[in-house]
Amino acid sequence: MLKGKVALVTGSSRGIGRAIALRLAREGADVIVNYFRRREAAEQTARDIEELGVKASVIRANVGDPEKLDEMFDTVAASFGRLDIFVSNAASGLPRSALDLDAKVWGWTMDINARAFLLGAQRAAGLMEGRGGKIVAITSLGSKLVWPGYTAIGVSKATLEALVRYLAVELAPKDICVNAVGASFVPTEVGLSYAGGAGEEDEGAFWKTTPAGRMVSPEDVAGVVAFLCGSESFMIRGQTIIVDGGFSLTPLNLKGKGGEN
Amino acid sequence: MSAAEETIKDIIVKIVHCDRKILTPESTFQDMKADSLDMVQVLVALEDEFGIEIPDEEAQKFKNFGDFVSFVEARVAEKK
Repeated sequence: MLKGKVALVTGSSRGIGRAIALRLAREGADVIVNYFRRREAAEQTARDIEELGVKASVIRANVGDPEKLDEMFDTVAASFGRLDIFVSNAASGLPRSALDLDAKVWGWTMDINARAFLLGAQRAAGLMEGRGGKIVAITSLGSKLVWPGYTAIGVSKATLEALVRYLAVELAPKDICVNAVGASFVPTEVGLSYAGGAGEEDEGAFWKTTPAGRMVSPEDVAGVVAFLCGSESFMIRGQTIIVDGGFSLTPLNLKGKGGEN
Repeated sequence: MSAAEETIKDIIVKIVHCDRKILTPESTFQDMKADSLDMVQVLVALEDEFGIEIPDEEAQKFKNFGDFVSFVEARVAEKK
């Protein structure tokens, strides 16, 4: 489906980003793996991609730093000469309530989660010029729901989703589709650290209130990203597709009770 | 006191905004009042400054300023 395409997935050494990188590779795309702190994991992802019979390369960059972000795109341009798919997945943040949120944590989170998408999409659009392409941002339900300590990340994701709409309209004449995919809690290393590291107990809480009856996996998210990177989703523009097994539809745990409790 | 140690102090003071005088080999991150975001920024700044890599797995073992300095000096020496 994506044979011969060149894809860049930021933050793809592990977790959801890794699952996306592998899924795009399985669809036939050559994939550039971007990482910030986990070189070994990134190199492992690249090896796993190559085993699928496509090309992989690894670029280190803190996407929150505009200079490093630019250098990453310069490397992509020099190595591949073009880009067909840009998945903005890298994210960061520290748990802080709104009243404890200082300028430093706010800036760090917004720079990596929101500004990097804007600047990255600008560069990606340049590399897609004349051929069109797909841009997908990874967001989270925290853009609309309120979770303890999730303030900066939630707000950054709301910004991201708004940017997706603006970019979708501006880039539509260039045949570049821009959308977002948002998940509920996904039990990756990072996801679990936000759930207080408690692991099974918190996972269980999410599982019980998910109508689909199980947790969302990184592969669930990756599948929807792959769909948005394919030709059949061409007329979907500026949308945030929620992958949560119905979690956000049922704030109370009424699953299967028929209101009898 | 090595040149590297002075540079590391410059970086920590700039990022963590702590008093330079408290930076002794024994001073801990608690002494510096550094949070995890400060630490990532310090690590990245050190990597850029010295052209080395400080994996998270190694950084997690650092207990004090002295550990930082010895690790950086060792990596810089390996490069030469």
